[in-house]
Parts: sequence; C-alpha cells; structure tokens
Amino acid sequence: MNKESARKNSLRYSPLEMMAICGARAIKDGEMVFAGTGLPMLSAALAQKTHAPRAKAAYEGGFIDPRNVDLAFSVADSRLHYRAAAAIGLIETLGVLLQGGRIDVGFVGAAQIDEYGNINTTLIGDFERPTVRLPGSGGGNDIVSCAKRVVVIMTHDKRKFVKKLDYFTSPGFIDGPGAREREGLKAGGPAVVITDLCQMDFDEKTKRIRLKSVHPGATVQQVLDNVSFDLMVPEQVPTTSPPTEEELAVLRSLDPQGIYLGKAE
Amino acid sequence: MNEAEGEDKLITLEEAIGKVQDGAHLFWGGFGVQRPPMAFAHELVRQRKRNLTLYTCGSEIDFDILAGAGVAARFEVAYFALEVHGLAPNLRRRAKEGLVEIEDYSNLAMAMRFLGGALGVPFMPIRTMLGTDLVRRYRFRKDKAKVIDCPFTGEKVCLVPSANPEFSVIHVQRADREGNCQIDGIKGEDVEGARAGKKVIVLAEQIVNSEMTRSHPDLTAIPGIYVDHVVECPWGSYPMMVYNCYDYDVEHIRMYVQQCKTEEGWRKYLQEWILDVDYKGFLKKIGVDRMLKLRARPGYGY
Repeated sequence: MNKESARKNSLRYSPLEMMAICGARAIKDGEMVFAGTGLPMLSAALAQKTHAPRAKAAYEGGFIDPRNVDLAFSVADSRLHYRAAAAIGLIETLGVLLQGGRIDVGFVGAAQIDEYGNINTTLIGDFERPTVRLPGSGGGNDIVSCAKRVVVIMTHDKRKFVKKLDYFTSPGFIDGPGAREREGLKAGGPAVVITDLCQMDFDEKTKRIRLKSVHPGATVQQVLDNVSFDLMVPEQVPTTSPPTEEELAVLRSLDPQGIYLGKAE
Repeated sequence: MNEAEGEDKLITLEEAIGKVQDGAHLFWGGFGVQRPPMAFAHELVRQRKRNLTLYTCGSEIDFDILAGAGVAARFEVAYFALEVHGLAPNLRRRAKEGLVEIEDYSNLAMAMRFLGGALGVPFMPIRTMLGTDLVRRYRFRKDKAKVIDCPFTGEKVCLVPSANPEFSVIHVQRADREGNCQIDGIKGEDVEGARAGKKVIVLAEQIVNSEMTRSHPDLTAIPGIYVDHVVECPWGSYPMMVYNCYDYDVEHIRMYVQQCKTEEGWRKYLQEWILDVDYKGFLKKIGVDRMLKLRARPGYGY
C-alpha cells in the first residue's frame, strides 16, 4: 500500500480514481449502460454528470435509469429506486435489455483474465475443492455474452492475468477470431480492460489482448512484469490522459466516504 | 371490518419450518440484499434441517448462514458472495472442506429456469453461457445445460432445465391471509420463482386485510391461489433491506463478515444471534434504537 499511497501523493489522485475515470470515458453520450456494484456504478454516474448526460444505466436487480442521490452498496439496493424510470426484475434487465440487444456497454470485474479476454469469477484452484470459492457468474456471463461492448475493470496482478483460467466463467474472444460466432454468441465481446496500471484493448486480427495506454506514473515494463502471458505491445504506447479537475471533483462527490475509492489519505 | 371471505393460511414461522423435510429442494426468494428470507434461514438452522438444495439467482448472508450451519449441502445458483463486503466467509470454508457443492449458472439462466418451471415447460432457451465452463462442467446435475441448433433458425442456443422445487420461500412487504402478496420495488426473480415451487410459503412484513389487497388487485405480484402458507415476519430480512420498510445494517453486516472469517467467530455468531434466541428474541436483540435508525424514510424507501 506504500507504493500506492506514494503514487497517490505525487499524482494527487489514486489508482482507483484513475480506473473509475477511464470507465466513465468508455461510455458515450446517449448509450445504455449495464453496471455492477463498485467502480462501474461510479463510472456510469460520472459519465452522466460530465460528457454523457443522456447515457442511462440499468442494474440487474431490476432498476432502469435511476437518479440515486446516495451511493448504492448493491445492484439490488433500495437507493437505486430513487427517481428511477422503472424497477422491475431480472428477466427484464438480463433478458429483455441485455439478451434483447439493447445494452451498448456492459461493465464487469474479473478475478482472472486470459489473453483472449476470457474471464473467471467462479473459483481459484481445484473445481471439486476450490482454494477460494468466488462469487460465480452472477449476471457477468450474461453481460459479457450480450452487451455490444464490454469494459473489464480489475486491479493489475500477475496472478490475475493468466495463461489458463482456473474456471471459464464468461466468454471473451474464446480462442481467437470467429470463436464467438462459432459458439452462437451475437454481440461484440470485450473492448477494453482497465487496471490500476494501464488500459488494454484487443487486436482486430488475432483478438488477442494488447496494451493501449499506460497510466501516468506507470511504465510498460511494470505492466509486462504483471502479466503471465505474452502481452502485445504496440511500438508507440501513449500515456493515459490524467484525470481533469472536473472529473476528479465530480467523482469524489459521488463517493464522499470512500466506499469504493478508498479512504482519503 | 370483516375479513373478506377466503381461506386463512396464516401459520407461525416455527410451523412453516416444520413443513420442510430434510433433503427438500427450495426456491429461495429475494435478490442479494433485497428482501431475503433471513428469519426463515434462522429458523431452519434452529430446527436443525439438513441436506437442503437451494435455488436462486443471487443470495448473500442468508445463504452463508445456511452453508455455515450445515443446513444446505447443494446450491443451484449464479451469485453467492456479499458484493462490496467481500466473499461469503462460511461458503469459502465449506467449499474448501468439500461440504457444499455449487452448480453454477448465470443469473439469466436461473431466472429462466424458474420461468420455465412456472410455465410448465421442460426447458428454456437462452443466448448466454455459450462457449464457457457454465455449459461444459457440472458438479451434481448431469443434465445441467445443453447447446443445440435452433430448429427454426439453425442458430446455436443454450437450453437450461426448468426448476420446480418442492417449496418456494419468498419474503414480501405485504400479504393478506389468503396469500395475496404485494411487493414494493424490484422483484428480482420472485415473480417467476414463487410460481415455480410446488408449495409456496410467503413471509410478510405486514399481514393486511384483504380489503386492502382486493381493492388494488393490480398491485398483487403473487396471487393467493399459488400460496399455501403465510407467515407474519416483521424485520424478517434484517440485517439486509426491505424497500419501504427498512435499510440494511452496514455495521451488523461488517461485523458478520469480520467475525465469520474464522470458524470460532462463526460459531459465536451462530450461538448468539441464532441458537440462543427465537424469532422474537432476535427482534429484541436488534433493539428499538437500531430499528428506529434503520426504519425507511418516506419518499426514499430506505
């Protein structure tokens, strides 16, 4: 945590804040967003309050386009009722909205991700007797299968960027070009992976994960040291645009207690 | 004020649990922090029920208690953790010990399995889970899911088996004695789940006169014709939330997560909050101060 707090002091914002802001920037105005608990909730709200005022969010419990004034702890939180356009149920959000092809951008997290953007959120270790039992798919598989574009937000760690998943929960590009289509998946798959060090996207030809930009203060080598597969690195790797004053101010106002962003130093 | 004519299905929580035999399969209502049948979970533990199989989309502390106490051995589920509060501490331990088995589906898959069960068809098609371990690997349900070519379009679809558990257990804001239920706010997968079970047990924050339900039939989410038993159960989802009734108790949830990281801590929680009290004792233990603090504010519902 020392390294993290040092970076935070020198940059005047934290890696988690950078991640939430990158998430918001991945949302275009007017888009329909499917968000989960945590940073994606902040990304969606930040986008709405800055560059994407006409973006709308849905949460799997059944909430459509909430205007909550208090930060929610859950996708089923009563806080999301506040001035929402509708409060229905899972078949509405995951079935009609997502599977029905009405979600532009979906957010998910990952405990492990491989070089084709496939995701594990189910277990670490042995299938019969897992070392760590994780939450499971939840709506994650549904989001990654059906959203037109998927944003993955996760912290960067060598043990998370793996050659082989312990369990294959949600489909990225599976094993390369044409694989999603072969399996019957209709929508686009992962578009960007946002970590505390960098952003990654996917090579159009090979569908393999590729470094897109490194965050201010991080280096390409640092990223490479924290992945367990051969990451594609373009010749020129730009630096992620640092947060603007406005982005930071709005973001912090959304989570004043630091529930998702961490406590202020 | 005469109760409109109709069957009186009201029984006590203890009586309701008495109807559930060891080894039974149950649809479990609520979604995550919203309206979980927590009081029902506690009473299952007190009456030492064993080998239950539970079906739901996503559950949190209620499931963790049932996994910890050895009440449920099998879960057909999409999500089992505590969101912002982390992983489910008892589940994590019991899974490592090999004492619980999870059959993993996605949330949409589980919701569709309940809809299929409610509709009386053997399976439902979905366009998720395709190409992943969710269709390839199973723990105990050999016929977990199948991928076929659609007979109409030739496209690949995933079929998931409909679920018709022996019981459906749902916690709602209001029900009358005939079992007509009103649910405020999101309904998760409870509308389908309540119709999938062979017997339906409803727990309600309030028992209302059927004048009230029958004067607004459009507000009935679950008609009494599907319901077998009704239990009055105020604060029955504590420490989680019920929209328009009360908020979650973040302090209690954090205490639970922290304490249950060790088996000893869990044993202590089990004794203090579940075994040493009955339902009314549990309410007393929450205490008036906390209840007044967590009571929903008008206009917000939390």
